[in-house]
Amino acid sequence: MTLTMAAHDPARAARPGEQGEVERDGVRVCWERYGDGEPTVLLLPTWSIVHSRHWKAQIPYLARHLRVLTFDGRGNGRSGRPPTAGAYDDAEYVADALAVLDASATERAVLVGLSRGGRWAAGLAAARPERVLGAVLIDPAIAFVAPPHPGPVYPFDEELDTAEGWAKFNRHYWCRDYRGFLEFFAGQAFSETHSTKQIEDMVEWGLETTAETLVLTQLGAQPGSRAEVETILRAVRCPVLVVHGDDDRVRPHAAGAAVAELTGGTLVTIGGGGHCPQARHPVRVNLLLREFAESLGRRAT
Amino acid sequence: MTAVKELSGARTVPEQTRARYPDATGYAERDGVRLFWERYGDGEPTLFLLPTWSIVHARFWKAQIPYLARHYRVLTFDGRGNGRSDRPAGAGAYTEREFAADALAVLDATATRRAVLVSLSCGALWATLLAADHPDRVTGSFYLCPAVGLAPPHPERAVHSFMEPLDTDDGWARYNQHYWLRDYRGFLEFFFGHCLTEPHSTKQHEDCVGWALGIAPGTLVDSQQGLLLCGLERFRESCARVRCPVLVVHGDEDAIRPHAQGAALAEATGGRLVTLAGSGHLPQARDPVRVNLLVREFVESLGGPAR
Repeated sequence: MTLTMAAHDPARAARPGEQGEVERDGVRVCWERYGDGEPTVLLLPTWSIVHSRHWKAQIPYLARHLRVLTFDGRGNGRSGRPPTAGAYDDAEYVADALAVLDASATERAVLVGLSRGGRWAAGLAAARPERVLGAVLIDPAIAFVAPPHPGPVYPFDEELDTAEGWAKFNRHYWCRDYRGFLEFFAGQAFSETHSTKQIEDMVEWGLETTAETLVLTQLGAQPGSRAEVETILRAVRCPVLVVHGDDDRVRPHAAGAAVAELTGGTLVTIGGGGHCPQARHPVRVNLLLREFAESLGRRAT
Repeated sequence: MTAVKELSGARTVPEQTRARYPDATGYAERDGVRLFWERYGDGEPTLFLLPTWSIVHARFWKAQIPYLARHYRVLTFDGRGNGRSDRPAGAGAYTEREFAADALAVLDATATRRAVLVSLSCGALWATLLAADHPDRVTGSFYLCPAVGLAPPHPERAVHSFMEPLDTDDGWARYNQHYWLRDYRGFLEFFFGHCLTEPHSTKQHEDCVGWALGIAPGTLVDSQQGLLLCGLERFRESCARVRCPVLVVHGDEDAIRPHAQGAALAEATGGRLVTLAGSGHLPQARDPVRVNLLVREFVESLGGPAR
């Protein structure tokens, strides 16, 4: 008896136990649930350059122990792509997260957010403390709390006469050479050796949306001052864990350290870690997430 | 002696962290050769992850151990010639009979009555001997990409002599003892490049080269000469005596050992064949989820009483 197994089987290590969608203002948001342990962990979306598969190295492990929720952030994956910048305000992503909690009948959850998702986790924890057991902010994209990486700063909106390095973070360049931008950004996000697969994934997921949609996500409203950021972070009352790579080339490690301080949280530094430790240091991150979530689950019961 | 300098450097590299650490470790000793074993988990039955060619040590199973140990009792040991096991000199110390006897010694040292064997590549030689000669100790044999002479090798590998000096270093001419002693790392880069044909194999390649640099090229020469002593007819005869359930898993893009060798082993042992489409020679490293699930499925198929 012989059997052939396909080479590029898109199979997942774990399949969702439940899938659903919620609609807000005509925008569809698709969510998935894995496992049914306690407590619930909501793995938030991040920037819509990727979708919820960016948690693929967490889901199978966490779902064996906890109840895991994910959803595709508006702008990528199976969720909608509204055509206006206002639909990509921070507040919209936070409201989507709440809608997913409601739709999945989840009273409270531990929030986990990467990069922008870390910002939204803080926003949700500050605004709706009764729904949030704790928050893990991984390489949070929170500006104003620490100096950005040194180097030239290029305007996002203006036509530039260079496309060198971070000059690629520019709407005109995106519309001209979207893949070129994705490859550049993925190369920065994955500074670790042996990241070829993770870079390929990010580029492929990035190609599931468009340069034009990604421009809108960049134009959505975000906190605009240190005061605004501090107000949010100081309002977070739940236990907070900040995880930040010390070789993060997208968001400086100092920002994560400052966020931990402002939220009264704990900082864990991933030595040699880049911007996406959940993908490149999954065992480390998974153990941190499980330990954090289970400590809160025990407290809650 | 550049190679030797590299070696001493390689030994000082700290071991990588592990997803799971052994619950017990120890040495079995046979004829003065010490063999380092590890045990993980304590489920039923025992899975015995055998060594392969001494170019690597037991960490080549690193993507299997954490998963399998959640369900079973998992034994590994460093094959003589690498890892924390001894490196006896001479080809005679590296025949398939020595490896099979080592495996038996590890079973005894760990008080393991019976086990399911899991082997990769050359490990098929000693797995088969064990299953044939000690049916009371072996409840099943799971083979990955077996390196067995039951079907012809890839044609490009049959061109060059291993023993004789060659006037070229091109391609498979690097599979030559003189070249190994001259440019060990060059051989390793070449060889593992052919083992790992899948994209995104940079880490696995680095791991394998690093493990191989933990031994002297002369030891690898000894181990290869030892394997060459394994007679085909004797192996065929062993295959015919295997009575336990057998599953052979072989990649159809294995550039080291053709898929036909796996198919021939399945036939010779009355086993079942699973083909991994697109896989190279080290699917345990490059397709660990598929391999792990296949191992588990195989173990579960053996049923309770046979354990």
